[in-house]
Amino acid sequence: MKLTMSLLAVDFSEAEKRICRFIKEYVENAGAKGIVLGLSGGIDSGTIAALSSRAIGGDNVIGLMIPEEENFSQKDIDDAKLVAEKFNLQTQICDMSSALGCLYKAIPAFDPKDRLCKGNIKARTRMIYLYYYANKLNKIVSGSSDKSETMMGYFTKWGDAAADITPIMDLYKTQVRNLAIHLGIPKELALKPSTPALWPDQLAETELGIRYETLDLILYGLERFMATEEIANQLSIQKSLVDKVKSRWLSNEHKRRMPLAPKIGFRSVGNDFRLPRHTY
Amino acid sequence: MKAKFKLALAQISSKRENKEANLQKIEKLTLRAKEQGADLAIFPELSLSGYVVRDQLYELAETIPGPTVKKAEALAKKTGMHIIFGMPELSEKTQATIFNTAVLVGPKGLIGKYRKMYLPTHSVFEEKRYFRPGYQAEAFQTELGQIGLCICYDIFFPEVLRLTRLKGAQLIVCISASPAVRRSYFETLTCARALENTAYLAYVNLAGVQDGLQFWGGSRLVSPSGDVLAKAKYDEEDFVICEVDYSDLRTAETFIPTLRDLRPELFDQLKEYSERL
Repeated sequence: MKLTMSLLAVDFSEAEKRICRFIKEYVENAGAKGIVLGLSGGIDSGTIAALSSRAIGGDNVIGLMIPEEENFSQKDIDDAKLVAEKFNLQTQICDMSSALGCLYKAIPAFDPKDRLCKGNIKARTRMIYLYYYANKLNKIVSGSSDKSETMMGYFTKWGDAAADITPIMDLYKTQVRNLAIHLGIPKELALKPSTPALWPDQLAETELGIRYETLDLILYGLERFMATEEIANQLSIQKSLVDKVKSRWLSNEHKRRMPLAPKIGFRSVGNDFRLPRHTY
Repeated sequence: MKAKFKLALAQISSKRENKEANLQKIEKLTLRAKEQGADLAIFPELSLSGYVVRDQLYELAETIPGPTVKKAEALAKKTGMHIIFGMPELSEKTQATIFNTAVLVGPKGLIGKYRKMYLPTHSVFEEKRYFRPGYQAEAFQTELGQIGLCICYDIFFPEVLRLTRLKGAQLIVCISASPAVRRSYFETLTCARALENTAYLAYVNLAGVQDGLQFWGGSRLVSPSGDVLAKAKYDEEDFVICEVDYSDLRTAETFIPTLRDLRPELFDQLKEYSERL
């Protein structure tokens, strides 16, 4: 297998159909009245907005824009509105600045200089808004995590990854970008640099230390059990970079699973209670 | 024995853990098949229970004969139809040994059953965790000719269908619960197995979504020379009536004489070398 971008080519019409069917079936079986999603102005949430609208109709989808003063970006708000208008979504702006201010004051150990811990509060507060609306409106929360960031553990535990469904989690970032273009999202938005928006000027590729085009091919190789040496050779990159990606992927499995419990009983939650997932 | 008859590819989406609702659907579509002149209605793998039911299989499995098969027998008797469907079968000798089984009933009652031999336990599949494999290829003498049965992943193993054919099957029925990412494999294999055995092959797959797993439908009847004679829609529930004409077997066997050209001594070598893998 030769690792080239052509391996990441997907039949996007088929992918769209499959994802829309998945969303529709889940919402119907859950007896829910639609979907709540966070609309950040980024490509992942824009793609989820488009897919949700196509699956169940924009009237049944509400996109929450949840800005806050430290990170405020009018461009992101404008991009989010553009997507909402294009796909006929309901929207709500929820400024979470005051809520964050209260939380910062209410946590005795709060350290404003620790931007990661502080940033994670933001991601988890967004989750609270999403679930409030879902609860109140009898909707489900759709997450917008993609495969690249999920494999890398590049998300906040119980924050942006908290959702009822994650329709694009099996697509790498570069695939999501192409799916977005296929869905009619403007190219400029589809290729906009990704950010988790935990602090000002944070950019995913800078923080991960790798371009998504390279990362996705490394992850694709790892997914297919390729040796890191082989991946490095094929991509003409340092083996140490591939090893680093592999190590990060494996060491973050705890973020992708139910919390671990010691085995004591006959069948245990999150372990060998193997039940079908009921949505109703 | 009928040399020509119609069958229904009843490509349904099962309701998980709801045997009553699924049995009602089987009844409704069997009646529809009868109305449209068919003698045989075929339903997918584990269509009685749903496919992704995991530990709940222990609650859903039944013996054969058992309550569901009795109802299916009554339905077959009432309609004069033959019916094939999939269900989790509880062994009569133990309390928690389950097989993934295809059941064939006809107007005179239970004709036979086939227990899936190859249980996929890779990727999203976990069948060996729950099921005991079967050990017998089966072909049953019926008023509709010799019908052989196999289930889904069995079709990846040419020896299963070859054995079924050698036991006399003229029509091989493969019931399935195949998810969408594997569609191209089955589209290739259904034609290949029909062609290499010069037998009719009816493939009936689940449709719909269970626990995020999307079943691709695409049920079909393949002729003894490998042509797709009828095909159901992809992904959605569908119901297709098509015709089997056994006079085509002779033509196919003369033009593609794979059965004449069988080399039994190779089978001994297959056994020997597969033990050494």
